[in-house]
Amino acid sequence: MTDAITLTGVSKFFDPSRPVLDDMSLHVKQGQFICVVGVSGCGKSTLLNLIAGLETASMGSVDVPSGRASVMFQDPSLMPWLTARGNVELALRLRGVGRNERAAEAQRLLTLVNLADAGDKLPHQLSGGMKQRVALARALAQDREVLLMDEPFAALDAVTRDLLHDELERVWRETGRTIVFVTHNVREAARLGDRVILMTARGGKIAREWEIDVERPRLIESPAVSSLAGSVSSALRAELAKVSNV
Amino acid sequence: MSKSPDGTAASDTRDLEHRLDALQLLPSGAVRRTPNWWSGVWPPAVAVLLLLTIWQTYCAIAQPRPDLYPSVFDVASAIGANWDSGRLPAALLTSLTRGGLGFVYAIILGTIIGFLLVEVPLLRRAFGPIISGLQVLPSVAWVPAAILWFGLTDATVYFVILMGAVPSIANGLVDGIRQVPSHIRRVGVVLGAGPVALHRYVLFPAALPGYLAGLRQGWAFAWRSLMAAEIIATGGKLGFGLGSLLQQNRELADLPGVLATVLTILALGIVIEVGVFTPIQRRVLLRRGLTEAR
Ligand SMILES: Nc1ncnc2c1ncn2[C@@H]1O[C@H](COP(=O)(O)OP(=O)(O)OP(=O)(O)O)[C@@H](O)[C@H]1O
Ligand SMILES: [Mg+2]
Repeated sequence: MTDAITLTGVSKFFDPSRPVLDDMSLHVKQGQFICVVGVSGCGKSTLLNLIAGLETASMGSVDVPSGRASVMFQDPSLMPWLTARGNVELALRLRGVGRNERAAEAQRLLTLVNLADAGDKLPHQLSGGMKQRVALARALAQDREVLLMDEPFAALDAVTRDLLHDELERVWRETGRTIVFVTHNVREAARLGDRVILMTARGGKIAREWEIDVERPRLIESPAVSSLAGSVSSALRAELAKVSNV
Repeated sequence: MSKSPDGTAASDTRDLEHRLDALQLLPSGAVRRTPNWWSGVWPPAVAVLLLLTIWQTYCAIAQPRPDLYPSVFDVASAIGANWDSGRLPAALLTSLTRGGLGFVYAIILGTIIGFLLVEVPLLRRAFGPIISGLQVLPSVAWVPAAILWFGLTDATVYFVILMGAVPSIANGLVDGIRQVPSHIRRVGVVLGAGPVALHRYVLFPAALPGYLAGLRQGWAFAWRSLMAAEIIATGGKLGFGLGSLLQQNRELADLPGVLATVLTILALGIVIEVGVFTPIQRRVLLRRGLTEAR
């Protein structure tokens, strides 16, 4: 299978004395769901921004053959003056979709994220989980092969997050996107990923990675997910110990 | 999707999610709608009635000189007399036309200047402080210079209106765009908006509340400047506005007429404030889920 994302020897410096990412290489296969975990400040968002083209690498190359990726952030960042449908239509309009097709396409995407009848609501009328689903529909509206997600569910309650995991997994299977999903939450990573990458706490490298072939759809409380989360979690704690002892 | 073994579980999830959503959407609308218009109107109406009553009661009890302290009825009949003589309607029309037209020019100019200041950082650093300073300078101060430049023509009046309103409008736009949260701008970029689309579909709509505040203040300054200019500059080729009427009534030592004109100017200001700016601003803020600062 072809690679949807290729990073070769990528380094990123904001401050010349300390690299945020250091000679990092990563290949993500097309259609793969990859989760990136690591302690706060280890460079997860920087990695995502590089892939998104929002930042440029100081050294090395970032290659996304399908072109630009779409991005979802922790904050849904919906345009507060547009309805849910309007927000999705804005993405379609900026993509160059004609006026006549926009309405139908927006409705299809809202249905995909289970918001078929909330299209006319304004963002302030929606719950956090609903806003994040509108943001997901908007990201999908860009119709890009690669979807980057930076802690998209971190601000949500556990029940809503569980529902969104199911939703995202289903949308991923229906749309065949390649997803890079950054999270603090190791259970979330084990629940969602085909592959989990742990970054070193400082120094900007990949510390360890896991391939997950637990059958989908998964349950976050299933033993397979839990045991994997356990092993990621202890590796994460080991990383944290390295920096807090210095 | 095929209805594989997971079909039921997935549709259960969707159903649960959907019911939670319905719960969220339940209590909107209905409750807030009704009291809007009336609740905005009755308190000031009562306040005006109260003031008029106090005024009239004072006149009835103290019996002051009617040429210096006219009663409510004297002023009301002066409004009637000024109206019947045709001076008041003519002045009203002239002032409103000038004010409206001048304000439209100010919007165009202020918006262009605002965009230039936003787009060219050097311009903003150079002219930003000057424009903020101009906002503080009472634009009546320009009347003498304008008369010398343009003579007693409408150009003088429009110049003063522009000097009053343009800085507020430009500043409103600059502040509005500067206060657009960075994540909104970033989403615009991520969605692939080019510079023009970013302004048109993201930055300008996002800056609308600040821009409207600037327009509102710009109108207040324009209207004040217009009245002041009309009082100071009369005659020549200048049309006859409310300020001129005020001045003419003073020359006739017609105090009820003076007060009648003042009240007309005040009422017009209130009507435009309550009838135009407040509802627009209210709608924009409500749509965004922002409550009004009262
Ligand atoms: N634009 C920037 N300028 C300077 N330093 C930056 C910039 N962006 C990130 N950094 C630094 O790079 C490091 C990594 O930041 P990054 O946001 O990628 O971490 P993160 O893993 O996403 O953290 P978190 O889990 O808290 O979101 C941090 O030390 C941060 O201070
Ligand atoms: Mg981050």
